[in-house]
Amino acid sequence: MRIFAFHLMPWDRLPADFDTKYESAWTWLPNSLYDPPHGHTLYNRYLDELCLADELGFDGVCINEHHQNAYGTMPSPNLMGAILARQTKRVKIAVIGNALPLYNPPTRVAEEFAMIDVISGGRLIAGLVVGGGPEYYSFTINPTHARAMFAEAMDLVLRAWTEPGPFEHYGEYWKLKYVNPWPRPIQQPHPTVWIPGAGSKETIELVAARRFGYMGIPYFHIDFFQRNFDLFRECAAKCGYEASPYQLGWLCPIYVAESDEQAWTEYEPHLMHFAKQLLKGLVVLPPGYTSARSIVGIHSALSKFLSTVETRKQIEDGAYAIVGSPATVKQKLLEYGKRLGVGNLLGLFQLGTLPGDLTRKNMQLFAREVMPALQAVKHVPLPQLVS
Amino acid sequence: MPTTSYLTIAGKKTQLTVGGEGPPLLYLHSASGETDWMPFHEKLARHFTVFLPAHPGFADSQGLEQVRDIADYAWHYVDLLAELKLSRVSVVGFSLGAWTAVELAILRPALIEKLVLVDAAGLRLPDAPVAELFIDDLAKLRRLLFKDPNDPSIPLALPKGLDDSRILQWLKAREATARVGWNPYLHNPRLPQHLRRVECPTLVLWGQHDRLIPLAHGRYYAEHIPQARLEVLDCGHMLPFEKTEEFAERTVAFLLSGGRSSC
Repeated sequence: MRIFAFHLMPWDRLPADFDTKYESAWTWLPNSLYDPPHGHTLYNRYLDELCLADELGFDGVCINEHHQNAYGTMPSPNLMGAILARQTKRVKIAVIGNALPLYNPPTRVAEEFAMIDVISGGRLIAGLVVGGGPEYYSFTINPTHARAMFAEAMDLVLRAWTEPGPFEHYGEYWKLKYVNPWPRPIQQPHPTVWIPGAGSKETIELVAARRFGYMGIPYFHIDFFQRNFDLFRECAAKCGYEASPYQLGWLCPIYVAESDEQAWTEYEPHLMHFAKQLLKGLVVLPPGYTSARSIVGIHSALSKFLSTVETRKQIEDGAYAIVGSPATVKQKLLEYGKRLGVGNLLGLFQLGTLPGDLTRKNMQLFAREVMPALQAVKHVPLPQLVS
Repeated sequence: MPTTSYLTIAGKKTQLTVGGEGPPLLYLHSASGETDWMPFHEKLARHFTVFLPAHPGFADSQGLEQVRDIADYAWHYVDLLAELKLSRVSVVGFSLGAWTAVELAILRPALIEKLVLVDAAGLRLPDAPVAELFIDDLAKLRRLLFKDPNDPSIPLALPKGLDDSRILQWLKAREATARVGWNPYLHNPRLPQHLRRVECPTLVLWGQHDRLIPLAHGRYYAEHIPQARLEVLDCGHMLPFEKTEEFAERTVAFLLSGGRSSC
């Protein structure tokens, strides 16, 4: 199993009256609450934490894109990816991903990802995403076009990487006379592609058919991941190949300390703050963003979501977060990894208000006492990409 | 009793309910998708043959993927009236439907005998912004749309929650509204310069306490459409639901009074 350190780069200071005064940590949360000098400290601390992952022997680091919120202050993951391309030496840099409908024209994504790939010597994992519901409010992009824009943009980006330019793109949303991006990526035929999903069947079928990687969107009950990954394997089989576990990724908050009790004592207030405050407003489904039937389905899955949990037992039963001593965490991750059939574990080692010293201790203990056993688990390799 | 059938309008399956007797009246519904026969439709049907189509994407009407903006809705009704062989019809539009009606009156003035605009979308007035309609909280929506958040007509107008059997229809209505009204938000920036092209007598009906589309929009329409007058009722945005009797009385009185040229 390959181990990635995922960072959201959250805002860690919300006012004491946040609960009663603000309905959401997203979109409308006034940006007067953002304090730039503190942001300077945070960004640099968070980048150091990802560089630490490189030093500690993680297989990769993950960053992602969100706008106008306190949950993750990374509107441009490509800027962070560019810094990491220089400051890390060996890890994969998984940018998961760029919300394609937000880039105009989306050939910018082909260009910027190729830059990161070339600078890093081929270490990029290129995440292509539709963008979260809140982003359609933040950018006032019509959500009823989200899926069609994403499909057109994804094809365009892949074509820009693989087909000699210049060529013309004449689509519903973009009409480009000369597509000819410099640079081209190092990885051939193109960088590894990962697509995150919240469980919609359409996305799973698409990712399986293209033989890309499917990353389960976190904070749902473990059974929901299981269902989606099983569906992925079925779809791959229908496409005539056996899915590799390396095509699947499980994103999960992880906290390791010297003992179970110490881990919970140190971590619980931060996890609950994250669940109750920063997740507030994350799951927003603007009209037409997905089908009416899927909206009803996701709303029903949300009855088992990290933001609804109250007790430690609920967190453990649903595997919303893996918390404990090195032995406990190792045993749980081995067991769930096997059960889910995933070859990539995307650990969230920092979230919300978790301070730098506990984050580093968490990562160091994990890397020393948990990670080697997980990395020793080997899987069948990735399938050949379809042309 | 009204009857519902399905027409194919320029390739789009279109749900059409027809009821009543008398001269033709085209009712263009709002974003809440009142495509079932409502008490106010029944009142209009005592004097008119009421044609109640569902816009593309609402109820069982299809073809939303061919729709990019409000002009596509207006052209759809040019096609629908041609299919029904109707011209010089009275058009009553509510909210999203009223905006569509104005666009239709600009495109094809000769098709419309008289126009009733009820709490119409379509404009942007910097000093009187349209509130956020695309929120999921139904309790908040009730407060936004009705003067009285406990108005007895609310159960007829809005689903109660996610387990309401009408929820899929409601979500489709939201999607179709977003399709034409997400950006620019519930307006056409070029509409004001074309309002002078509306030729027919026009009654603008507005709720004094409309918190979604403030009364200033009603005044603007009444001032800029050549033969328009404004009447204000003591209610919120959902005027036909909140003031069913007065809505029907005023609409019928206006439509039956005099000829097209006398207003």
